[in-house]
Amino acid sequence: MSEAGHPNGSSPPTRTFRVYRYKRGDPGWRFDGFEVPVGGRTTVLEALRWIQLHRDRTLALRHSCLHASCGTCGMQVNGREVLACVTLADTLGSTITVEPLANIPVLTDLVVDMRQLFERFPDEIGTVRTSDALPQASPPDGIETYERFEDCIECGLCLSACPVSATSDAYLGPAALAAAQRLLEEPRGVDPERILDWAQDPNGAWQCHAAFECTEACPSNVRPAERIMALRGTLAGGRRTVATVMPG
Amino acid sequence: MTRSAPRASRDTPHVLIVGGGGTGGALAHDLTLRGIRVTLVERGEFTSGTTGRHHGLLHSGARYAVNDRESAIECIEENAILRAICPGSFEENDGLFVALTDEDMEYYADFVEGCKACGIPIEELTPQEALRMEPLLNPELKAAVRVPDATMDAMRMPLRFFATAKHGGATLYNFMEVLDLVVEGGAVTGATVRDQVTGSEGDLHADLVVNATGPWSEKIARMAGVDVPISPSPGVMLALYGRLCNMVINRMHRSGDGDIVVPQRALSVVGTSSWTVEDPDELDVPEDHVTRMRAEGAKLIPAVAQAGFRAAWSAARPLIGAMEADSGRELSRTFKTIDHAEDGVEGFVTITGGKATTLRGMAELCGDVISRKLGVDRPSTTRTFTTLPHTAFYAETERRLA
Amino acid sequence: MSGQELPGIERRGDDGPVLRKGVGIPASGWFDPRGRALGGFAFAVNRVTGLGLVVYLYLHLAVLSMLLRGESAWSGFLRLATNWLFLSLDVLLIFGILYHGLNGIRVALVGSGLVADRQKALWWALGVIGTITLAFSALHIYGSR
Repeated sequence: MSEAGHPNGSSPPTRTFRVYRYKRGDPGWRFDGFEVPVGGRTTVLEALRWIQLHRDRTLALRHSCLHASCGTCGMQVNGREVLACVTLADTLGSTITVEPLANIPVLTDLVVDMRQLFERFPDEIGTVRTSDALPQASPPDGIETYERFEDCIECGLCLSACPVSATSDAYLGPAALAAAQRLLEEPRGVDPERILDWAQDPNGAWQCHAAFECTEACPSNVRPAERIMALRGTLAGGRRTVATVMPG
Repeated sequence: MTRSAPRASRDTPHVLIVGGGGTGGALAHDLTLRGIRVTLVERGEFTSGTTGRHHGLLHSGARYAVNDRESAIECIEENAILRAICPGSFEENDGLFVALTDEDMEYYADFVEGCKACGIPIEELTPQEALRMEPLLNPELKAAVRVPDATMDAMRMPLRFFATAKHGGATLYNFMEVLDLVVEGGAVTGATVRDQVTGSEGDLHADLVVNATGPWSEKIARMAGVDVPISPSPGVMLALYGRLCNMVINRMHRSGDGDIVVPQRALSVVGTSSWTVEDPDELDVPEDHVTRMRAEGAKLIPAVAQAGFRAAWSAARPLIGAMEADSGRELSRTFKTIDHAEDGVEGFVTITGGKATTLRGMAELCGDVISRKLGVDRPSTTRTFTTLPHTAFYAETERRLA
Repeated sequence: MSGQELPGIERRGDDGPVLRKGVGIPASGWFDPRGRALGGFAFAVNRVTGLGLVVYLYLHLAVLSMLLRGESAWSGFLRLATNWLFLSLDVLLIFGILYHGLNGIRVALVGSGLVADRQKALWWALGVIGTITLAFSALHIYGSR
């Protein structure tokens, strides 16, 4: 989407974007307003990049894959946690407020310090799991089962949406606990006792109060709330797993 | 990183890499292992240029086995190396090349011969065998060949190189934009940057500056007064809801639009098309390309036609060659290291071209050129060095891959 | 600016602001309707009713202490306790008890991993039970006047 005007001479329709701004050393944050041309298919990320290219080169924002796979463009748009690259600007009203994720320290503008998310994860990381798509398929010779990446794209939307994380920075949070539950569901060589020990930290699974905002916010079908509940069930003596549900 | 970028000292040669894509990250890792001091600056988030946007194919090289054997051989070599040095970063399900028409079948013999000549291990399959492996394939397929493709996460795999370089002592700055290069007496001695975190501007100095900006190579090169023949060549990709295949599905023909479907977690990515532009920052997503992706992808996997829409986007490849070609497919996909001393400018090297699969190999060859220039007599050791997990880029405590 | 070190160059957000939803007090974010779904709403109301019940408990004990002061004090209180406003507060109290109790059952069932994937349906089901019970209680309370 370029700076050029509409083919028949008139300017394209615009929306007002209120964008959170902060640079280190500033006394505080502020909101900058921009009029941005928005078409039927324009995403919030495209609009922000337009601002970056044509209005303010000092605007900092994270993005990478542009298709909800890398998890870097997480932010609050009109108060809701979304991935900006797959959020259409057209459906959001005449004024669109864009802020960084909540509950994580801001580095600059719309960029938060993701260390705070990654430091909460357990020591073992499972990146690849068994694929449950197309169970009727037979993998080729030499491949025992098809594999695929874990759903979690480490976007932090869950941490931003969680009402417990809003009032407690020590809470391990939905992403980390869901990752632990995934290691219980599919150990891949990890000792389950270590995971359960880690999870029953007072700031672990027992700090969740079933608000389910994390599952609502998750763009990648991780279902962290259901997984935390399963984890608690296992900690309480049962053994629980969570079925994967294909989004559509 | 808590220290500011120091001035280069005579003892440890200092390299400033401009560009935080896969190439820059891999080069930072390569040079750091050779004991060279590295500072890297990227204007946005790492891999936010072209690297993060591709469909995630780890090339077997089969696509180039007929037309571009040099590329194909580079790919299959790097394919094996990356699986070894980045364990856990690939869905190792292999791939299929699928012939649908008589015209495709005319290409079959050349394809098989080309793969064999390039050392790409293949397995010729009957349609029934292929359908057992991938039940959603077009049931009218005529033949299929299994190839050692794999799927990577386009951001997380390169991020491992950044993580390893960072823990090895390299200084990596994202959100730092190069405004101009500092040229003194016919040599590049550093860069004027704006730190997006603070908003302030200043200079960083180095013994050598590397231009690793991919399709933006020309823009940076001009700051030093030299030219680099790079054609930004975008293509459209389409992400659809549903994991419609586990293997990578390719069309068996000479390169064309929409001839690949790559699984990405619970999505399927269909790609891609090709045209050339002047400015890689102004990329459209032409609606007719999106429609064409769906139509072509549906020939391979009919379910593509009805699958829910997730996203459509463009990414600019850095193709080496002149600007005259309009489609971009005729230009070479191999990579090049250009020492601009040939153009009369010292202290400046451009590394460009290439693809995601060859990031380590590019960095090794460029690292060789740079080491020679700086008088550092150490070979590359990246071929056998297992990289840290991508989470190590952010987390400071150690993590283990399950 | 040539040759100057760049100040504040570290890529750490330790000194950066932290956004919290709501206004000032972090817990006020629990009541921000934007981006909140049913579960978050249930969570917030549970906390309000919990606090309300604690306040009620204190008031209840204070009222009962009037029994220690003899019959006339207690009769005075009974006269107060039968006016419309007070009865409505009683209905509000019943709502608080029903909501907190029934939602508490929901949280117990969900939080032990038994019915986690049906948490919304459970809220509505218990909500119907609670609403019917509240209606009966309200009729009884107002009818007793």
